Amino acid sequence: MNKPAEKTCFHCGEPVPPATDLAVEIGGQSRAMCCAGCRAVASLIHSAGLDRYYDFRDALPERPDAPEADPGRFAAWDRDAVLDFHAGPETNGRRSIVLVLENVHCAACAWLVHRYLGQYPGVSETRLDVGDGRLHLTFDPAQTPLSALAAALERIGYPPHLDTPDSGLDRDRNERRRMLRYLIVAALGMMQVMSYALANYIGGAGDMDPETEHFFRLISMIVAVPVALYAGQPFYRSALQHLRQRHLGLDVPVAAAILLALFSSVAITLFGSGEVYFDSVVMFVFFLLLGRFAVMLARQQSGAVHSALARALPGQARRLTETGSEAVGLVELQEGDRVQVADGDVVPADGVVTEGDASVDESLLSGESEPRRRAPGDAVLAGSLVTGGSLQLRIERIGRATVISGIADLLSEARRRRPRLAQLADRAAAWFIALILVSTGLAAIYWWNADPARVIPVTLAMLVVACPCALALGTPTALASATRGLAREGVLTANPDALEGLPKISHVVFDKTGTLTEPGTRLAEVRPAPDMDRDRVLALAGALERVSNHPVARAFTGFDRGLVVQGGKSVAGAGVVGRIDGRRYWLGRSAWVAEQAGVALAEAGEGIWLALLAEGAEQPAWIRVEARFRAGARALIERLNAIGVEVILASGDRRVNVDSAAIELGIGESHAEMLPEDKLALIERLQRSGAVVAMVGDGINDAPVLAGADISIALAEGAAIARTQADLVATGRDLQPLVALFQRAPAVRRIIRQNLVWALSYNLCALPLAAAGLVPPWAAAIGMSASSIAVVVNARRLGRAQDRQTIQSGSERPVVAEAA
Amino acid sequence: MKIIYVLIPLSLMLLGLAVWAFFWAVKNDQFEDLDTPALDILDDDETEDSDTNREKRE
Repeated sequence: MNKPAEKTCFHCGEPVPPATDLAVEIGGQSRAMCCAGCRAVASLIHSAGLDRYYDFRDALPERPDAPEADPGRFAAWDRDAVLDFHAGPETNGRRSIVLVLENVHCAACAWLVHRYLGQYPGVSETRLDVGDGRLHLTFDPAQTPLSALAAALERIGYPPHLDTPDSGLDRDRNERRRMLRYLIVAALGMMQVMSYALANYIGGAGDMDPETEHFFRLISMIVAVPVALYAGQPFYRSALQHLRQRHLGLDVPVAAAILLALFSSVAITLFGSGEVYFDSVVMFVFFLLLGRFAVMLARQQSGAVHSALARALPGQARRLTETGSEAVGLVELQEGDRVQVADGDVVPADGVVTEGDASVDESLLSGESEPRRRAPGDAVLAGSLVTGGSLQLRIERIGRATVISGIADLLSEARRRRPRLAQLADRAAAWFIALILVSTGLAAIYWWNADPARVIPVTLAMLVVACPCALALGTPTALASATRGLAREGVLTANPDALEGLPKISHVVFDKTGTLTEPGTRLAEVRPAPDMDRDRVLALAGALERVSNHPVARAFTGFDRGLVVQGGKSVAGAGVVGRIDGRRYWLGRSAWVAEQAGVALAEAGEGIWLALLAEGAEQPAWIRVEARFRAGARALIERLNAIGVEVILASGDRRVNVDSAAIELGIGESHAEMLPEDKLALIERLQRSGAVVAMVGDGINDAPVLAGADISIALAEGAAIARTQADLVATGRDLQPLVALFQRAPAVRRIIRQNLVWALSYNLCALPLAAAGLVPPWAAAIGMSASSIAVVVNARRLGRAQDRQTIQSGSERPVVAEAA
Repeated sequence: MKIIYVLIPLSLMLLGLAVWAFFWAVKNDQFEDLDTPALDILDDDETEDSDTNREKRE
């Protein structure tokens, strides 16, 4: 992995394998390409006159998997049943639909998609949301069918998926719009009220005639009251909700302070004399809203469960009829239908095999890294991948009844639980809030008896000075700047509470499949045979494995020298066979090779060994393949060990694979062949013994486990569903972002603690002074603002420190973060 | 100083106008895509092409 690459692919940036001679002329120069897929995409972009994509992009695209897309793959998308389910109603012959695209990284992707689809007749709107990869497409089905547009998207490297209509997209957008409106009203209102207040401050007491002063107050009131009432709604609603649950949330005093300051100012303006706080009220509302808005955006960007589910399922199914077969949308499938699933396709619904024999890769569902053989009578699950053969299925369960949907439902259920840390924080805040309210009430009673004229100024001074503004801002601003800093490192924060809790973590549980390892395998060791040297062995293996889709085959893709293979065939769960230079070769499990060739072969040893045997030869060449570790896996484990966090490996994979991974990475405790329930039980056992557990995973099978952990971390390269469940999401292909995450976490916690200590001690010192009548309301207002500003400046310090460290440790990182 | 009795209500009207304009923008998804419009302006040599696109659509 860390070898300096001599040449990198111009399109995807991956190293160009040796003896690859692919190039495309772009921008007047010949550019090297690593694979046929990249070459196809690059020449498409070039021939469409869109070379400037390469100037605009700031993140490298994924390496495309399929060199050329099969337009028939999306044929079912043109059917009325599919369009009626997924697209909006037809207006003027046009339909609009939302597609979820893979591999969207930066604004240049949006530009490319817009330009490329714009060349098709009838396409009137293409708007790609870079944040969540959703494409809003309006097109005329009579001029260009959806299947053609989908195939075009796949050709340029953005495989599209249908989005389920009730995906919460509308709800998210409405929430975003509502918050934007609050924010705008608060900002404009703040500017106005501040300008009126400024006139009053500059004029100074007595310098302005009482009539003008009163006019300014009236005007301030006219602006501030509707602004505070309208823009403060999120706080009033949340406070009301907390009170209904008989609970003092942080929004209770926030709402109380806003409303009390507002209405006492109104009362003073209309009936009495003294200070008014209209400017402070709107400023307070604006800054609080700004924090909420940032948190909401971060949460929404982590995507919706349903769209992730769409990504795991195929776009269409091939239904068998009396006369043949037809491509249908998944919404058209019914129980009892018979469908054909070809080699390399994903099973559309849960069913039973009626005909055929193939390996089925269920790694997304069960975590088993190697495909399992399925024959007639066996059950297969929606979302699993058929390799090395094709199957006919009878559909047993569809849509929401499938196992994969059930897991998604389980997720949203588990998600409703409040994290323990957040509950603790709420409880601590409730005490402080109660203290403020009670002491203000007591002081008001005291002054009522001592000097009734001073009740209003003292009460107000207390509420304003003790207003938990800094307290309320301290945590969100620190979390917001940490969120921003971490996004630059490649970690997205879905639940900011997790950042606070991260340094308390005592155990980190890793799922091996796809988390510490990459999909596929890599070559570990070659033992040449007497008549074959190492190069020959690899060239033969590379040529033979061309026909196989098995993960093992990926270890050999770089070694294909283009030898001609006749009659190449892949046998599910066994190996590949083919004729090269007139001689037959077998490559696969030793037992199978021995059986086919009719010779006796001994096992080569521990690990995954493949035998390569030529026809008529006695001695095979042995090739060992092993799981590829993600870049940064070792650094991450070392880092965790260094800070005294216990690392545990819990995998659904076989014992031998798990053990070798644990030994190689230096992990002490490892568990193999675990079901999701076992992993959840493991975590619960650890939690009962007082541990605070973080879970790092990526598969759908991990999702309930992720939900059970105190803090969950997912990898965005893995199954998309887990990311929606996790508190934190690491993007990119390596684990480097997680190293950065564990490095930054203590600083986040330190800053939050500083902010809270500062805000609390300020409030606790100022409260008695205000109660004693020693703080005039204007000083209270200044004190409140100053303490808030101190807290915000301190939080920003966190962002700066991260920038500096990014530069220090950033040299090895691929360019992924800016798009986040 | 009497002029402020005219100017300040005037500023309130402008404020109302600004709020209305922003609400209109929010409602029409002007804040939904903040990434791609920045690139459109760099796209000078493609104008001919996009014009023909527009004609095609209409």
